[in-house]
Amino acid sequence: MDFGWTAQDATYRERVRAFLERELPGDWRSIARHGPGSRQQTDFSRVFCPKLAAEGLLVPHWPREWGGGGGTVWEHFILGEEMWAAGEPRGPQYMNVNWIGPVLMQFGTEAQKARYLPPMAQGRAVWCQGFSEPGAGSDLASLRTRAVRDGDSYVINGQKIWTSYAALAETCFLLARVGTEGVGKTAIAIFLVPMDTPGIEVRAIPSLIGHGDIHEVFLTDVRVPSSARLGDEGQGWTIISAALAQERVGIPRYALAQQVLDEMVALLTERGAFGDPVTRLRAAEAALACEAARMLVYAVIDARARGLTAEAATARLAVIAADHAVNDFGMDFLPDCYHGDRHPAFLAHHERAIVTGIAAGAAEIQLNLVAQRRLSLPKGA
Amino acid sequence: MRLAHTEDQALFVAALDAILADSVSGFRAVPGWGRWEYGTALDAMLDQNGFFEAAREPTLGAVAAVELVMRLAARPVAVEGAASALLRPLLGVDLPRPLAVIDGNPGVVRFAPQARAVLWLGETLRAARLPEGAAIPGETIFAWPVGAIDPARLDWHETGADAVRARTLWQLGQAAELVGSLTGGLETVLAHVRDRQQFGRPLGAFQGVQHRLAAGAVQMDAARWLVLKAAATGAATDTLLALGQAQRAAGQMLYDLHQFMGAMGLTLEHPLHRFTYRAKMLRSVGGGAAGQMRAFADHRWGMA
Ligand SMILES: Cc1cc2nc3c(=O)[nH]c(=O)nc-3n(C[C@H](O)[C@H](O)[C@H](O)COP(=O)(O)OP(=O)(O)OC[C@H]3O[C@@H](n4cnc5c(N)ncnc54)[C@H](O)[C@@H]3O)c2cc1C
Repeated sequence: MDFGWTAQDATYRERVRAFLERELPGDWRSIARHGPGSRQQTDFSRVFCPKLAAEGLLVPHWPREWGGGGGTVWEHFILGEEMWAAGEPRGPQYMNVNWIGPVLMQFGTEAQKARYLPPMAQGRAVWCQGFSEPGAGSDLASLRTRAVRDGDSYVINGQKIWTSYAALAETCFLLARVGTEGVGKTAIAIFLVPMDTPGIEVRAIPSLIGHGDIHEVFLTDVRVPSSARLGDEGQGWTIISAALAQERVGIPRYALAQQVLDEMVALLTERGAFGDPVTRLRAAEAALACEAARMLVYAVIDARARGLTAEAATARLAVIAADHAVNDFGMDFLPDCYHGDRHPAFLAHHERAIVTGIAAGAAEIQLNLVAQRRLSLPKGA
Repeated sequence: MRLAHTEDQALFVAALDAILADSVSGFRAVPGWGRWEYGTALDAMLDQNGFFEAAREPTLGAVAAVELVMRLAARPVAVEGAASALLRPLLGVDLPRPLAVIDGNPGVVRFAPQARAVLWLGETLRAARLPEGAAIPGETIFAWPVGAIDPARLDWHETGADAVRARTLWQLGQAAELVGSLTGGLETVLAHVRDRQQFGRPLGAFQGVQHRLAAGAVQMDAARWLVLKAAATGAATDTLLALGQAQRAAGQMLYDLHQFMGAMGLTLEHPLHRFTYRAKMLRSVGGGAAGQMRAFADHRWGMA
């Protein structure tokens, strides 16, 4: 076992850091404060991601055929860690490069790949993910948006909700039910739907985590050609399972939490307020939570790097705990920093820490998975 | 970053698991309802096959040593492993084992009744042979054999080993023993809740049971990885994190493990107490998780 970085990985991390140091503007933190789905951060991503692409740091893990560099699993992961620690300057585009692109490579037609992959690899594409519905959250397979075949096209009706980036995205990766029989997972298909298709209405949902971050998407008689379908009818669930497998451990949130914690300690020290044993104890506990999460995430990535799959739910739960521990520490010992806008990094982290246990699979769903897969307990009652 | 065992480590662990699967490490009620049983036969098998020497082998190292300590502690019988596998390789002299370690109170020393030599962890690391009958076996509710050692009666000599390093390795050993104890406890409880039916279904199908066991497993798995990391890096900060995390995991899990075993878990006929009552004792070493966290803060951010 070797817990150190190879020279190659260490150099790679330095390279990413140097790039961020050089390219992030002085007011970046105020931009990042608005959240990855905000207009500010999305607009910024349209300038920043092409620069990343030019540097070979946007899709290094993609195959060369599609503009990648054939990079390793660890390089891809290090890149994600550094980006999240920096406040995710790729904005919504992290999603394309992490899983939408790779899924299109695996399941897309030649025409779909030729149309969608180059803009992603150039850092010019914004996508949204149309999965959740008012009646289908954790129980995603109960979704009701329906795509009805009509000649060589489909007519889609239904509603999506909580859709990040929807107001700014050009394309939606949409899940809909097909056919008349089939319930549950077997009758779901994926459609790549241009957001300017007539019949799509997007409404921003005012939220705690920044305006313009989450949306409702109404689909009324939205007609798309059958060439917009990704994979076969009924293959949708298999495809998103593969997609989510790419994203198994999710966002390396402990990387930002760790960074924010160090800033909190620096500020307390500057104020002469880091001598109190209770404060120090709580800071250390938060640091431990970050390290615990980091190790569990690394274990999953390491398995992936060796071509194995590891249960990721354990790591995800530790990541949630880390986000909460750091945020609670800040709010307890630096309460003044959560008023006004003098500490955008703390505020941004605060908002991300609320989301951690809900988005992309609630904490309780992860606990169910740990119980069933890691502990081999029977499916829950 | 390569978190798989090396080939040699994998062989070591496989050979170890084969020995541990043997009945010599299983549970038997102890005559007179004692709280622990020393695994004399298991100890001999491991010793003869050189398992306690792993840390001396460059291709096995401290990682293999903590694997040994964790796996040992997950078995119902008690065998002294942490000091033998982690501290003894640090010494120039070849001390007989089992080893006891005095770290603070010489009145309560784990493995004192079985030990043939003692290490005294203070400003320096001293060692002494322990003549037969020199330790006085103690009464304890915990599932480790303990005894009292009178340091004044022993013939101490300086080992010359780095005492700071020795303390770190001792913390690592205890973290590994704690993770192992929790692992053994969790496995015991999991077997029970998969099997035991109430309200027409296995207890383990209830989400209230699942979530608490899963939450504990998250903490325990993190502790296991932090122990392995600390073994690999040898760093004092990593070791404080490992022991602190193991102690936090114990805090989260110990009542729950008994909870889900119901009344059965309170009997001395059932092995659960072997694990939980080991973990209870280790949970408080070095001031408990808070103690490690305070020390970690000093390392990480400088003294207050
Ligand atoms: C910031 C943000 C961005 C998002 N972006 C997108 C997006 O871009 N596209 C998209 O499709 N979706 C998005 N989502 C939606 C997200 O995927 C859902 O919120 C998530 O799947 C949970 O669904 P829900 O909110 O409907 O909660 P529900 O399913 O109603 O669950 C509510 C709570 O009940 C508990 N619960 C649920 N099921 C169980 C169970 N089986 N056992 C025990 N407890 C349970 C959990 O605590 C859960 O948090 C986003 C969400 C957030 C917060």
